[in-house]
Amino acid sequence: MLEARGVRKVFRTFERVPGLRGILKNFVAREHVDIAALDGVDLRVERGESVGLIGANGAGKTTLVKILAGIVPASSGEARLLGRDSFDLRDAEKRRLALVMGQKSQLWWDLPPIDSFRLLKEIYGVSDADFAERLARFASMLDVEDRLKIQLRQLSLGQRMKMEIIGAFLHSPEVVFLDEPTIGLDLISRETIRRFLVGLSRQRSVTFVLTSHDLEDIEETCRRIVVLDQGAVAFDGGLTDLSQRVTGKRAVEVHVHPNARIDEESLVAELSLHGAELAGRSAGALTVIVSAERLAELVPRLFSLLEVKDLSVERQPLERLIREIYRRGIKAAEGGER
Amino acid sequence: MTSAALRAPALLLRAVAYEFRKRIQFRAGFFVREVLNGTVEPLVMLFVYTALYGSAAAIAGPGAGPGAGPGAGPGAGSEVGSDPGSDPGAAAVALGGWTYPEIIQYVAGLVVVRKLIFHSRALDLATEIFEGRVTKYLVMPFRFFVLHQGRFLQFTLMQVVVAGLVWLIGYAVAPDHWLVPVSAAATLQAGTLVLMGSYCCFLIFFTLNAMAFWLDVVWSLLVMAWFVIGFTGGALVPVSQMPAAFYGVLSFGFPYWMITAPIELLMGRLGTEDFLFGAALVAVQLVALEVLRRWVWRRGLARYVGAGM
Repeated sequence: MLEARGVRKVFRTFERVPGLRGILKNFVAREHVDIAALDGVDLRVERGESVGLIGANGAGKTTLVKILAGIVPASSGEARLLGRDSFDLRDAEKRRLALVMGQKSQLWWDLPPIDSFRLLKEIYGVSDADFAERLARFASMLDVEDRLKIQLRQLSLGQRMKMEIIGAFLHSPEVVFLDEPTIGLDLISRETIRRFLVGLSRQRSVTFVLTSHDLEDIEETCRRIVVLDQGAVAFDGGLTDLSQRVTGKRAVEVHVHPNARIDEESLVAELSLHGAELAGRSAGALTVIVSAERLAELVPRLFSLLEVKDLSVERQPLERLIREIYRRGIKAAEGGER
Repeated sequence: MTSAALRAPALLLRAVAYEFRKRIQFRAGFFVREVLNGTVEPLVMLFVYTALYGSAAAIAGPGAGPGAGPGAGPGAGSEVGSDPGSDPGAAAVALGGWTYPEIIQYVAGLVVVRKLIFHSRALDLATEIFEGRVTKYLVMPFRFFVLHQGRFLQFTLMQVVVAGLVWLIGYAVAPDHWLVPVSAAATLQAGTLVLMGSYCCFLIFFTLNAMAFWLDVVWSLLVMAWFVIGFTGGALVPVSQMPAAFYGVLSFGFPYWMITAPIELLMGRLGTEDFLFGAALVAVQLVALEVLRRWVWRRGLARYVGAGM
């Protein structure tokens, strides 16, 4: 359905030298700089998969989405979507795809969303019956039925994003690229949008490629995670695989009495005997990270070391895992192992 | 799904309706931009021509006939700078083949014709490219150009109404001086030439806007192009009043057939044969501009970076 083979993307720009001499130099002779945004990315996404693209700023997530969706061409390598070169899609393939950009509106700013939806209906050739049914259903699911006739610019950020999502799904796409769809939204809007995406993914086996800095978005909507680091794939697999492959660790949340006296130095020393580390501490809680294999030996020890009021064991937060990948990637790069 | 053949015109109509809504969204802006705009230059022309013909009449002397020129010597009856409209001698003086009443009619025709010509402000494609707003269209199953064609069509339909109203107001205010077409056929021919030329302008402005794929700033190109098209078409001086060498060259360009020639058709100075020649000439240029537009657009897309996404 979606494939990238050895995709590289190099953006050419020029450096502006500061100062008066620099201005004159720039005017006469510019020095071009090549910036590699992607460096040999291989990726294959099957029908119905939901893939989360994660990476720090500048890691190449959005560039990869742009190439896969056919917005920009790859400098080298091959990107294919629905069996065709992504940068050479015909209308037949484009009709099966949608793009939601969290930072760019797909709808028209000065018009009420209903007008934009009608134009999209014509562009995608959606029948009247399908249009009416889908619009009513999606507006109800996202709770914006009473906002369809209000000028887009007058809607809140969350309402606008919901409208964007309705616009993207009106033609019932098979592949959907979502670039930061929940950026800047409040908790409730984010929840609603995630529920909407998960629901559609299950009902119609839509293929999603989602980029987000909000790891909750990824955790709740994607089964597969691709981590990009400096333009290359640093990890590609399931969320569980990620946890196991990267660290295989668990986060133990220990609640103690707020006034309990804890000798942090000896606690850290004791934890290290069990291969654990103290990851965080607040007035009444401690977070301890330990490998899954040594969890059983650590928990009783924690009860003997501390006045435990409550204890919970969770999979290590995704955010921490990602940080670990970046850290390892950088270290590996420094050691020439990558 | 409806068939592709039916979808294209339906989409174009929807684009026209959408552009219409966008255009009249802000009422004050609409009147300033589309109705009042373009009235200053004709007024300036009117004042300059009045002074010129007044001076020429004063030099030619009273009762100067069509044959009288600057060489006829200064006359005693006309004061330099007098109103040539009320001076029968001045009315007979011809400068570059145009008498004062004719030039007044030309200016009147210019006010109406300018309303119909697609101008650079009507496109904001360069901004869309700079800001990455083009991205959304690139994944849609349609030719992005259709939206802009819709804008051109909408612009033209609305401006035909505006031009008609302007003509009516002008006729009501100054029926003796206003340009009244010599025939319905001449009106049709003039209208055809103006619209063909206007489409050429649209293609040029689209192409220049698409230069935003390469250049950081394109507005200076657009302003320059608008000025050059206006000048070479006769927006300041009728092309046929320019020196013969200029006229000989400029009369092959579409701007002449978009501004000067249609007004001359309405005045009866040009006929059907001229119209046919001009229409053929503009058609060739229109095709060439369309080929250039497509080429620039394709080349530009390959350089697009989708900024802001």
